[in-house]
Amino acid sequence: MCDHCLKHGTAGKWYLNAKNYSNEIVEEYNLREFLLEQYTNFEQMSVRKLNGFNAVGLGYKMQMPIIGRVVKHFAEQMLMSTKPPTDPFKAEGHIGQVVPLDDAIAILEHCAVEPIIQKYCMCRYMSRGDKEACCINFGVMSEIIEKLPRFIPVNEKFQLTRDEAIERFKEHNKKGYIGTIWYGPYPYINNLCSCANPECAGIRPRMDFGITSIFKAEYIVHINPDECTGCKSCLSRCQFGAISYDPFEKRCIVNQKQCYGCGVCLHVCKYDALKIFPRNDFPELRGKY
Amino acid sequence: MGNKTKIKIDYSICGDGYKVDPRNCGKCLRICPPALFLLHQTLGVEQKNPYDPEVWRITPLYPSLCTRCLECVGICPEKAITITW
Repeated sequence: MCDHCLKHGTAGKWYLNAKNYSNEIVEEYNLREFLLEQYTNFEQMSVRKLNGFNAVGLGYKMQMPIIGRVVKHFAEQMLMSTKPPTDPFKAEGHIGQVVPLDDAIAILEHCAVEPIIQKYCMCRYMSRGDKEACCINFGVMSEIIEKLPRFIPVNEKFQLTRDEAIERFKEHNKKGYIGTIWYGPYPYINNLCSCANPECAGIRPRMDFGITSIFKAEYIVHINPDECTGCKSCLSRCQFGAISYDPFEKRCIVNQKQCYGCGVCLHVCKYDALKIFPRNDFPELRGKY
Repeated sequence: MGNKTKIKIDYSICGDGYKVDPRNCGKCLRICPPALFLLHQTLGVEQKNPYDPEVWRITPLYPSLCTRCLECVGICPEKAITITW
């Protein structure tokens, strides 16, 4: 997030700034009605036409010579917008970043505003038809979800305490879901998701169409070559295709340019060969989100 | 550009035609390897009943990702999906 973090974050991370979670922002930007409208119609956002354009057949539109670049430009401009949001049917200022487990715990412990809830993931519902309670919401967003029964988990707890939320997040992370934190809309942070590729509507544009809709984490995974036995258990965990097996060296290697730093591979390594390091430690990867 | 995959869903059988509610079926959503279908309310989209958020339909959102495995065509209980290229 580069200069954005220096302006709005603590310790160089925008999502660790408690100010971005406060209810004052909601009042300032008048977000209550905006968010209710947006989440009532969330699933149809990609089929709704904006300026005569919707996301149906996005892959083909992106392949068109000039139009593809225009689409990419406007989509990124919309997602990274820092202006006050105007249209609830646009994903304005709705940009996120991958967070590893430790940062997510820090968010839940120190930044997230009560009430904390868990809700059914709308991405999984709209792309798979399945309901799974793995999104954690804070503050005003929790009050909005209360009004939308299709997101409220059945037979599961809806309101969570801080510790329960951390427990839930850990569970998802160990399962292999990628932790992501979202502005929605800028500058209000209200979503801590546990995403999966290809279901996630935020990861998909970047993975499949090259639109920067989510930033890589502030971290990078590194495999210690001496401790890796080449058991390949981390291989299936990587949802970004960053880990591969080198049959000659008989160990796994990380393509650090492709690594998003989510850290879900760390949970399966029995030999502690995988470690997570700050992105800034690697001059080559510094600032490449 | 190559040849495009076209995925068509017959909405008179699935969705707006009320015969099958896609929210209760959703077999194509689950089986599709790249998850290219989208389940959404029909509000605001060109359709028979434009302002009913209780009516849902499935749109093949990203046909460019289709691997042409034809799993969705086979699993659809109403035979509503056709794929051409």
